[in-house]
Parts: sequence; structure tokens; C-alpha cells
Amino acid sequence: MRNDYKIILDLIPENSKVLDIGCSDGDLISLLADKNISAQGVELNQEKVISCLGRGLDVIHGDINLIVEDFPYNQFDYCILTQTIQAVQKPDVLLNTLKKVSKNIIVGFNNSGRLSKAVQFLFSGSFDSLLKKSDSDQWYNTDYIHPCSIIDFKKLSNDLNFKIVSTYDVNNSAQFTDGKIPSNLFCREVLFHLANE
Amino acid sequence: MRKITNNTDYPGFLLSCEENLLLDSGKSIKKYQIAYQTYGELNSSKDNAVLICHALTGDQFPAEESPITKKNGWWDLMVGPDKPIDTNKYFVICSNVLGGCVGTTGPNDINPETSKIYGLDFPTITIRDMVKVQKILIEELGIAKLKSVIGGSMGAMQVLQWAATFPESVQSTVCIAGSLKHSAQNIAFDEAGRQSIMLDPNWNQGRYLELDQKPENGLSVARMIAHITYLSEKAFQNKFGRNLQEKKDLSFGFGIDFQVESYLRYQGRSFVDRFDANSYLYMTRAMDYFDVSEEIINNQKKIIDNEIRFLVLSFTSDWLFPTKESREIVSLLNSIGSNVSFAEVVSDRGHDSFLLDEPQFFRVCEGFLKGIK
Repeated sequence: MRNDYKIILDLIPENSKVLDIGCSDGDLISLLADKNISAQGVELNQEKVISCLGRGLDVIHGDINLIVEDFPYNQFDYCILTQTIQAVQKPDVLLNTLKKVSKNIIVGFNNSGRLSKAVQFLFSGSFDSLLKKSDSDQWYNTDYIHPCSIIDFKKLSNDLNFKIVSTYDVNNSAQFTDGKIPSNLFCREVLFHLANE
Repeated sequence: MRKITNNTDYPGFLLSCEENLLLDSGKSIKKYQIAYQTYGELNSSKDNAVLICHALTGDQFPAEESPITKKNGWWDLMVGPDKPIDTNKYFVICSNVLGGCVGTTGPNDINPETSKIYGLDFPTITIRDMVKVQKILIEELGIAKLKSVIGGSMGAMQVLQWAATFPESVQSTVCIAGSLKHSAQNIAFDEAGRQSIMLDPNWNQGRYLELDQKPENGLSVARMIAHITYLSEKAFQNKFGRNLQEKKDLSFGFGIDFQVESYLRYQGRSFVDRFDANSYLYMTRAMDYFDVSEEIINNQKKIIDNEIRFLVLSFTSDWLFPTKESREIVSLLNSIGSNVSFAEVVSDRGHDSFLLDEPQFFRVCEGFLKGIK
């Protein structure tokens, strides 16, 4: 099982209501359902929507930037964005709206500020390395339009008045609390658990 | 007293009910019958039944060859063995709606109180009345819970009405190209259609059957207006452009110059052979009156307790029941905390897409049904 999924499954209590944004084939929703957590997905890719439906999962087809306003306020306990926030048009606007929809928000992403990335950029002089999601991605055609570092995201969370409940270094499943965060230089993948203040 | 017999006028069956049916209008009908067709077999636990709700001009023959048109049934691509609604697995039921003209009681039947054709003496009906009658049919077939209720357009209205009124009898619903309520624009189009029927001198206050002269021109124009709303600008452009009909030059008159004119007139003309003008008035009125939001909210507990799974579907180019209205359904269902899925299918063929060969659409429906345990 993916490490970030494992952390999320431990983090969310039973009988919660969850919205998984960018739910892909529904792997996480399906795992949550096994734990008696009712989850609904949002997915842009129609093929993936079909595969979610075939697994008996609830999924909303659409671009979260355009449909987030359709979700009623205070409907969810947790809202999950794994590997999605970098592809969102306006992360600040989306997070602000999600705040009204869900009590907690879990955001997982690859830390673009880590040392290896910085070194890669320094020596190549090309942004491709920072903006790459898959090998075919170039700076001009990537979905990864908002690469950010752990420090960047912490600042955004503070600016939007979120409470940072905890953060995780996903690769070694280490949890950080009391405002501590994983190392911006060395952590590869990070997870933020945010709550409404 | 209720009794099921073979239908002698059409293939399929007839449920005849000798009992009072109280309608939303406060009026009632003394006796009524429901014409329906079934496909596939009901299993011994009676839990594989799927009800299909037809649209405004549909009938109880979605699959196989239609006895009315002698062509493939209106949803033959969707319903049948190994098709998305697989009749090898499901027992599919489809009934002609109340107020219809293909065997179920409607304005062109005899009023038992006067022994004359109802005409406008037939009470105004609602989508809920249509669904109430379908519920009676389902009870008579001994089915406690439908695996799914599926329909597009006016059928989608019935689908939502089923969930709102009889949540305990529905396991899942597929609501295609529908809305929570008829929009002002849609009521306007319906009114234009009704006026064209009622202003036809042959309509005679609805008593045309006794006078043996149908309001064919009126009904045909109503159909032409409606048909425009079923397509899209792009569908018209792709199909006809500004092509001329069997001529090289403009006629400088008001005959048929453009192919699109010929097509529309054909649509209008062929419609009058298979549809009744008064039925058209009653059914469009039922759609105008439809507004199911409040009932869904009032019955939210039952909807949640019964764990109904909803699939809402729309088409990108549908401007009669646009995606925005499907999203309103999703939003309402989300707000009551129900299990809802939504998909928007890319198609440039307008509202009618749900009746056409749209493989993505079929795959979404098939996937959803597969996920219903």
C-alpha cells in the first residue's frame, strides 16, 4: 500500500465523511470504505470515473476548480488532495473554498524545494526538473503548474489561517506536531493535516 | 380489483385496476389500466428488476423491434442481452406513462362516468401521479425493491420522483439529462408547443377524436419546435449546414429550400402518426409542474436510511437540460448526505444524445450498474 494512504487511513477516524479530490481509480476511497469511512471522489478523467463506478464507489466527474462551489458547506469531515494541489489553477482559492466544505483538509505533495531538486535546477538551468510529473512533461505542457516546497506550503497554510494539526514525512512515515515540519532540504514527499481554526 | 392480462392491442401486458386513483390535482379517475412490457426474467428472490422510465414521446418498448415504428426500440442500444442494461441479468420493466397514448389510461380513452372519450375532461396529471401508478404495477409484480430506476429527460424526472416518493422501494437510480424542476425556458417551449396544438382548428377543444379530424398541423409544429430543442447548434450544422434540398438554386418562395426544413417537416409529419395531441398537452404540463426538491429534502432521512445510490448524467451540448441543472441535482443530493455519483459525457448531439450511440455514456451506465451489489 502507498505510504501516504497508510498515513491517511490511520489519521481518519471511522464513520467520517470524506471527499477525495483527484481520486483516480478510487483506490483510496475503496480502502477508506473498508474502514467504514464513507468517501466520495472527484475525478476529471472519465475513464477513471468509469472504473470508480464499476467498483461501486461514489464519484463526481469534473474539474474541482469549476465544481467546488457545488459542494454544500460543512458536508465533510475530511477532504483529501494527494498529488493534486500542484495541478490546481489557484491553490489558495481552492483551499479557502474547501475550508467551508470540510472541517479537515489533508494535502500531500512532492516537495519541490528539496536539495536534490535544487541541485538539479542549479546544474541544468532548466525548470523541467521542477515541473515534471511524468517523463513526457516539459515546462510548457505540464499539469504541474504550481510546484511548491514544504516552506511554501506552510506559509500558505498560515496565510489562510489554517491550523497545522500535523505534518508527515511520507517516505519514512514520520509524524511532526506542534508546528514542526519535515526537513525542507531532505523530505521528498510531505503530507499536511490542516484544520479550520 | 387488479388484474394482469396480455395486451390485445400491443405486445406486452396490461394491468387493469378497478379502483379509484387519487391524483395530485385532488381529482381522481375511477378505473385505469397500465400497458407495460418486460424483458429478461425475474429471479426467484425478485431483486433483479430494473424499471425504465420513458421520455415525453417514448413508449413501453425500449428494446427489440418497436411494434409502433417497426424500427429498433427507442433505447435498443441500451437495453437487451449483453447491452449496458443487460436483460440476461436484469428483469427490465417499462410501462407507458399515465396520460400516454400507447395503452395506459390517458385523455384519448373512454371516461367511465360519461362513456365518452375523456378529452379535456381527463384530469391534469403530474410526474408523481405517473410514478404512483408505476409503483402499483411494481407491487402487482411482487417486487419490493427495484435494483434500479433509470430514465432520461422526462424519464429522469420520474427517476428522481421515485427516490423522493418511494425511497424504500429503490436501490439505485440513474437520472440522465434531467433536472430538479422544469426551467422557465423549458416551460416556454412547452407552451409554444401546446399553443400550436390548441390553435389548430381541428383540435376542437380536445374533442377531435369524436369528430374524426386530428389537429395534425398543430401537433406537427409542436414536434418541430420540440425537436429543435433536442438537438444542438452543432448537430444541425454538421447534419445539414445550409445545404439545399434537391435543388441547386433558392426558390425565392416559402416551400422547402433547405435540407433542415425538409428534415423538420418530416419529423413533424411522422410524429402525428404515432402520437396523440391531447396526450402531448397533458404530458408537457406534467413536466412543467415538476419540482421535486422539497420532497427530496422532506424525505432525506428515508433516502439516506435506504442507502439509495444515485448516478446523475449529463451531456456537454445539451441546452434543454444543461449540465448545470444536473449539477444542481448532485448538489442537493450531496447536501442531504446521499450516495451520489455524477458524470458529464462529451457529445455534440444535444439533449437527444441519451438516445443515440454514445459509447462513453453506455460505459458509464454499465459501470454504475456493475457496482450495484
